[in-house]
Amino acid sequence: MRAWGRRGLRTSVALLLAGTVLTGCAGGGEPAADGDAAGGDQKLVVYTNSNSDGRGEWVTAQAAEAGFDIEIVGLGGADLTNRIIAEVNNPVGDVVFGLNTMFFEQLKAEQAITAYQPSWSDEVPQEAGDPVDGAYWPLVDQAIVTVYDSATTTDAPADVSELWTNPEYAGRYEVNTALGQATPQLVVAGILAPYTDAEGQVSDEGWAAVEAYYANGSPAVEGTDLYARFERGEVAYGVTPTGGIIARDEEYGTETAIVPSAQGVPFVTEQIGVIAGTDQQQRAQEFIDWFGSAEVQGEFAQEFNSMPVNEVAAEQANPEVVELVGSVQRADIDYAVVREHIGEWVERIELEYLP
Amino acid sequence: MSAPHGPVAAGGAPLQADGAALPAAAVVDAPPPPARRRGATRRMLRSPLGVVVLVGVLWFSAAFLVMPNATLLLATFVPDGRLSLSAFERLLSSERALRSLGNSVLLAATLAVTVNVVGVFIVLVTGWFRMRARRVLWLGYATTFVYGGIVLAAGYSFIYGRYGFVTNALAQWWPDLDRDWFSGFAAVVAVMTFATTTNHMLFLSAALAGIDHQAIEAARLMGASTATILRRIVIPALRPMLFAVTVLTFLTGLGALTAPLVLGGEDFQTVAPMILTFARSSSSRDVAALLAILLGLATIVLLALMNRVERGGTYFAVAKVAVPITPQPFQTRWGSVVVHVLAWALWAVYVFPVLCAVAFSFVDARAIMSGSITAADLTTDHWVGVLTSADALGPFVVSVVYSGLASAAVVLGLLLVARALTRWRGWLSSLLEYVLHIPWILPTILIALGLVMTFDRPRLLVGGQVLTGTVVLLGIAYVIVKIPFTLRLLKAAFAAVPDELEDAARILGAGQLTTIRRVVVPVIAPTMAAVAALNFTSLLDDYDAAVFLYHPLFEPLGIAIKRSTEGEANVQSMGITFVYTVLLMVVQGLVLWLVYGRRGAGARRRG
Repeated sequence: MRAWGRRGLRTSVALLLAGTVLTGCAGGGEPAADGDAAGGDQKLVVYTNSNSDGRGEWVTAQAAEAGFDIEIVGLGGADLTNRIIAEVNNPVGDVVFGLNTMFFEQLKAEQAITAYQPSWSDEVPQEAGDPVDGAYWPLVDQAIVTVYDSATTTDAPADVSELWTNPEYAGRYEVNTALGQATPQLVVAGILAPYTDAEGQVSDEGWAAVEAYYANGSPAVEGTDLYARFERGEVAYGVTPTGGIIARDEEYGTETAIVPSAQGVPFVTEQIGVIAGTDQQQRAQEFIDWFGSAEVQGEFAQEFNSMPVNEVAAEQANPEVVELVGSVQRADIDYAVVREHIGEWVERIELEYLP
Repeated sequence: MSAPHGPVAAGGAPLQADGAALPAAAVVDAPPPPARRRGATRRMLRSPLGVVVLVGVLWFSAAFLVMPNATLLLATFVPDGRLSLSAFERLLSSERALRSLGNSVLLAATLAVTVNVVGVFIVLVTGWFRMRARRVLWLGYATTFVYGGIVLAAGYSFIYGRYGFVTNALAQWWPDLDRDWFSGFAAVVAVMTFATTTNHMLFLSAALAGIDHQAIEAARLMGASTATILRRIVIPALRPMLFAVTVLTFLTGLGALTAPLVLGGEDFQTVAPMILTFARSSSSRDVAALLAILLGLATIVLLALMNRVERGGTYFAVAKVAVPITPQPFQTRWGSVVVHVLAWALWAVYVFPVLCAVAFSFVDARAIMSGSITAADLTTDHWVGVLTSADALGPFVVSVVYSGLASAAVVLGLLLVARALTRWRGWLSSLLEYVLHIPWILPTILIALGLVMTFDRPRLLVGGQVLTGTVVLLGIAYVIVKIPFTLRLLKAAFAAVPDELEDAARILGAGQLTTIRRVVVPVIAPTMAAVAALNFTSLLDDYDAAVFLYHPLFEPLGIAIKRSTEGEANVQSMGITFVYTVLLMVVQGLVLWLVYGRRGAGARRRG
């Protein structure tokens, strides 16, 4: 009994020691953070959902060269928006970029961002951002398109809506049922847009279309890429943002083609804005002036095959990307209405229409 | 959900001749939990220690369990000052939601049976029978400690799924094979059964090791067969611990998230993914909260039932001076063969996915996903990518510090609480106990949201501090989500400390704190260490709490993993996930070894 007890005691002492050491580490870390906050030259905390694929590191490095000491906080779009709104009384971030128009509308409605007119405001089309209040400004464009591999699939429909109206395509296109994410939400907004009135009321035909869309689709498989499913012949069509197409064609050896859409397709326009209540308003605005400028956006576009909204920067973008994004028409979606109703739409789909 | 999923627990064969067995031995010793004692609350209020504990628990519960969740629930159900119960209608009119809810309960109930069957078998072959290479067997079954979550589900899917290589191989021999053979309810139950036996491995093994050898010898001398001994002595003695692990298994089943997502197919979806989606949308948060509360009610009903059964039962009492059991020889040859074949087949089922995860981390992601892997697809790119990225190490350190601190804090903090609750069983302790179980009812993500929204202004209860945006809030959240699990197991351990031991210490003149420090803590230290290790490993790759609470300068691992696997151009995300899985396995394996490995080695030396 005593031997056991002693060993047990030794374990707990070891645990306690480990705890103390860990406390020491954390203790060592904390003052540093406080020191940063107290010092004159604070770190600018930049919230974004657009830091994957090495973009976060690239922006941090470029900003450092330009004299901005920034810290990127990267989270998924919906999570990031929720976090900024939850922190609205005591903001942690100073600038937010990368979220799409819908999320920025949500931030605006919760008064989580403040309006600022950046120095490059006349280089971007007004309607791509927030023409009403100028609360946020556009950086990068992506279209959400339905694609197929033209090397293996030859019976593409003349319009994307045939996928769910024509029984021939039943089960052959992928539908993303993870409706908490931005892209699937925009797909829903795109399908419902023609059936939605100015108050956000959706007609029965709209719901019938959504129901048919999900009922006839093949649900996305968690953890499996759309193009991997193309490769296996599991599905022939699926939705993807234009940003990843070039990388996937290289990786999978596919020849991506886009299914035409008479209604146009939803665009994700990544925006930038100042977080309301930041104690570094001046610095945040300077960062926006720098990051959104034609020069930086042009370099960003070259580095990451993105499509800048900034018209001057667009000249530097990869021509393949410009062609890809230019080949589709922008759907007429009222994002203020969508922002207000997307929550209830998603809920209704989750509760009633998902397979 | 905040219920413990995936990797939990350890323990077993290498240590049964050793001290780790004590608390469980004592658990078996424990009389059925006594009903409330009259005057217990008054005695609690008269003891200085009781008052300190009471004040501490009341403060912590008010500040971090009640206030944040009440804030969130009020904002959810009473927006703009008017009570809105439309969530009920919306939910009840949805066939899908009710079906998912039913599936979750069905899954939980099924797992409560299947996990117990497999878990008891595992415990017996590693701790009871004289098996060949028992240590290797034990290591194989212990893999669940280091392997869980999405990668486990994805791993099974890559092996047995529609295009998995086992399916591909089978299809060559049997072309008519339904490629979806491994999906739906059966597949989910199978995967989760093999993934959640960790609690059995840890706590039930320890309980088994504590059974008195002399009792078994006596039964044998009286002519009892192995089957009779198991049925009449071993299983009844294990019953209290079986109840405890059954509750944990049930909770795991209710909160099942990834296995149904990946393997459930259209026919078998559970409610947890729906709760997560709704919790992220402000207009649907009431539905999420309602669904979570419904699951919470199922848990409470189960807990109440278990308490009742526990109280009513009579248990086989074993001697206070227990002689540790030794592995039992097989009585018949064919019995030995059958058990060996079954045990090793099960071992293969456990080990195969882990080996695959290690292998997958060296394979091009595209090849994994397409389901055909050739030698040309081997690559070290993922490893190079993860290990050379600008901040590969930082998140690891941050998460190790947070998880270490939180798991130590919760175990040490609840030490006195658990003791107070077992010592003074009155109406007040029952109330405290229910309050401390709040984190089991709400999903982590809602707890985190409540914390941010509550502490974004100075609050008197925390000394007028603003906690949102500081490094402490995530640590507090980690402590909160681990309270119920820790409390239940510590309470079980405390109930097991014989009163005589404490009385003896008191008679010899030891004060309350000295008694705890010198007598009680040494007895329950192995359980404390085990629970701390479990908490540590389960917090290490947390995402749900971190997403709203992490400090910009201290990015935890869960966030880093998520980031490195996302992105439009990132087709290698699966491979990177496997790299992180293997890294996590190494860290968690190290913790397991620190808590158990060396002690096992010591046992062998003395052996």
